[in-house]
Amino acid sequence: MPSPNDAPWRRLLDKDRRELAASWAWLVLLVLLGPLVGHAFITAVDSYAEASGASGGPAALAQGLSPLDGIVVPTFGAYAIAVTLLFPFVAIRLVSSEKQSGSLKLLLQSRASLGVMLFVKLFVVVGAWLLAWLPGLAALALWRAYGGHLSSAEVATVLLGHLLRATLTCALAIAAASLTDNAATAAVVTLALTLGSWALDFIAQVRGGVALALDAYTPESALRVFESGEIRLAIVIVTLLLAVAAMALAVVWLHPGRTWRARAIGTAVVIAAGAVTTWLGAHVRASCDASEDRRNSFAPADERALAAIRDPLLITVYLAPEDPRLADLERGVLRKLRRTMRDVDTRYMARGGTGLFARPGEHYGEVWYAIGGRSAMSRSTTEAIVLETIYSVAGITPPTPDGAPAYPGYPLAARPRGAGLLLYLVWPVVVIAAWWWSKRPRQLPLLTSS
Amino acid sequence: MLGLVGPNGSGKTTLLECLSGLLAADGGRVARDGRPIAPSERRDALFYMPDGILPWADQSVAWILDFSAALQGASQSDVAEITRALDLAPFAARRAGTLSKGQRKRVLIALALLTPQPVLLLDEPFDGLDLRQIREVSPLLRRVAATGRALLLSIHQLHDAARVCDRLVLLSDGRVVGEGTLDELRARAGRPGADVEEVFLALT
Repeated sequence: MPSPNDAPWRRLLDKDRRELAASWAWLVLLVLLGPLVGHAFITAVDSYAEASGASGGPAALAQGLSPLDGIVVPTFGAYAIAVTLLFPFVAIRLVSSEKQSGSLKLLLQSRASLGVMLFVKLFVVVGAWLLAWLPGLAALALWRAYGGHLSSAEVATVLLGHLLRATLTCALAIAAASLTDNAATAAVVTLALTLGSWALDFIAQVRGGVALALDAYTPESALRVFESGEIRLAIVIVTLLLAVAAMALAVVWLHPGRTWRARAIGTAVVIAAGAVTTWLGAHVRASCDASEDRRNSFAPADERALAAIRDPLLITVYLAPEDPRLADLERGVLRKLRRTMRDVDTRYMARGGTGLFARPGEHYGEVWYAIGGRSAMSRSTTEAIVLETIYSVAGITPPTPDGAPAYPGYPLAARPRGAGLLLYLVWPVVVIAAWWWSKRPRQLPLLTSS
Repeated sequence: MLGLVGPNGSGKTTLLECLSGLLAADGGRVARDGRPIAPSERRDALFYMPDGILPWADQSVAWILDFSAALQGASQSDVAEITRALDLAPFAARRAGTLSKGQRKRVLIALALLTPQPVLLLDEPFDGLDLRQIREVSPLLRRVAATGRALLLSIHQLHDAARVCDRLVLLSDGRVVGEGTLDELRARAGRPGADVEEVFLALT
C-alpha cells in the first residue's frame, strides 16, 4: 500500500498497475496466452518426440537435437504472435483511456512530470509482460519434468530477445497512442508499423543492400538472432535506443498544450538524435554466443587462428540477396567471421535478378577473400572450405582441431502430459478468478477521520 | 470569485484551457502579480478542472481522492475534510464509472479543492448538481475563496453565476462583452434593477 509521502512515480506506478489490472485488453491477453502457449508447446513436444525416434520412427537426427530449436523457441513463439497482435492494445489502452477520460489533464497539472508518467507506464506494461511469461515458463518446467534438457543460458537469451521486443513494441504503442486522438487510430498506426517491418523484411531478402542493414534491427529479425542463441550487443543497444526515441516522441506529442511548431521541432530533434545514436550503436561489434552447441562460433582452434589475423579481411560476394547460397554463407560463415575477426568488410556485388529470365554476371556465384593484397576465390558456402581459403590467403597453417567434445544432442520421446489441462483450462480459469477477485470491493481508507 | 459567463459555444472552456496551458493559445499572455507565466509554468499557479471528464472510471472514489491528494501534496486530513464537506463518504467505495452525474461533479470539485495552486479554474462546477447541492457547494467555494485562493468559474447558468460570484465576465462569440459586478454591468447596460439575464441580453 503506497504511503501519502511517496514520490510521484510510486503513486503513478500504483495507479497504472491498477488501471492495467482493470483493463479488459490485459485480461483477454492473459487468458489467450494459455491456449496459445499450450498449442505451441504441445506441438513442439510431439514434433521433438517424433524427431527423437518415438513410435519406432528413425532417430537419425536425434544426435543433433537441440531443445533450443525444438522446444524453447517454438513455445515462446506464441509470445511473438501475442506481442504483435495483442500486446500493443494493452499499452495503447493505458495512454488512450487517460486521454479520452480527461485524467491526463489532471495529471499534467500535478507535480509529476510527463516523462515520468510515460516511463512508469512503460515499466508497468513491460513488467506485466514478464507476468505473462508464466504460461511459457510453466511449459518449460513441464519439459524439465518430462526429463527434457534445458540450457539456462539459451533460455535466458531467448527471454532477453522477447523482453527487448516487448519493450520496443510497448514504447511504439505508447508513442502511437500519444500521437493519435484515440485508441483505434493508435492501434492502426501500431499495426501499420508491424506490417512495415514485415515489408522491410521481405524487401531485404529480395533486394539486400540498405534494406538488409535496416532489417537487422526490425523486431522480427532481432528476435531471430536471440533465438539462435546469440546476444548481439548492437541489437540490444539499437532496440533500447529506438524504444527511448519512441518514448521521447510520446513526451513531445502527448501534452495538448504544445503548439504544432514546438511539436515539429521536438520531433525533428528526437529523430535526429535517434538516428545518430542508433547509427553509432549499430557499430558496436561485441556479441556473445550463448548456444550450447556453439552454432554461432567456429571451433575454438579456428577462432584463435582467425583472431590472430591482424590485416582486414575483404569479402566480395557475387550472390544475389534472394539466392539461398547467400543465406547459407551468411548463417554458416560470415556471421561467425564478423564475431571472430577484428575487421571484416563484406561487399555484395549482385543486387537481385537471378530470376528465370535474368542473366547473371560472369562472376556470379563467386566469393572473393582478400587479406593484405592477396586474394582467393571460392564458390563454396561450407565453413571448412571457406576457412581453408581464408587461411591460405592469410598465409597461415590451418590449426589442429582441439578435439573439443561434439554437441551430444538431447533427444527425448516424451508425451506432453498435463500440458493441455494446465494451459488450456487451469491457466484461463486462474486468470479469470484472479481478475474477478481483484475487482471485489475493498476496505477503504478512513476518509471521514479528521 | 470571478464568473465567466456566456452561452454554450461562447468560448468559456477554450479560454480556461488556454489559461491553464492545456491548449496552445494563438496570442495573449497570462500574468501573475504582473509577471508573465509561460504555459509550462502555469501548473504552478493555476489548476483547471475540466467539465464532463470521468477520470479513472474503474477505480473507487476513495482511491481517486487518495491518489490525487498524494500527487498534489495534500494531506489525509485535507481528504477527510473535503470528503465530509462534499458528503462523498456514502459513495466513496463505489467505482467512479458507476456514479451519477451529480456525484461525479462533487468528486471533481473535491479533486480541485485538493490541489495547492492559488488559482482554481472550474468549468461548469454546478452542472449536474441539483438546487440543494448547489446551495451546499456554493458556501464551500466561498470558504475556499476566503482562504485567499482565487476562483474562476465558468458558468452557463446566469442566475447561478450571479448568486455565487463577486464579479462577472460576459463572453459572447469568443469576445468579452462586459466585466464587473452585477451592479456595474446593470449600469453599463442602462438597466438598473434588471436581472442578470436581461443585463446579458442587453450587452450582447
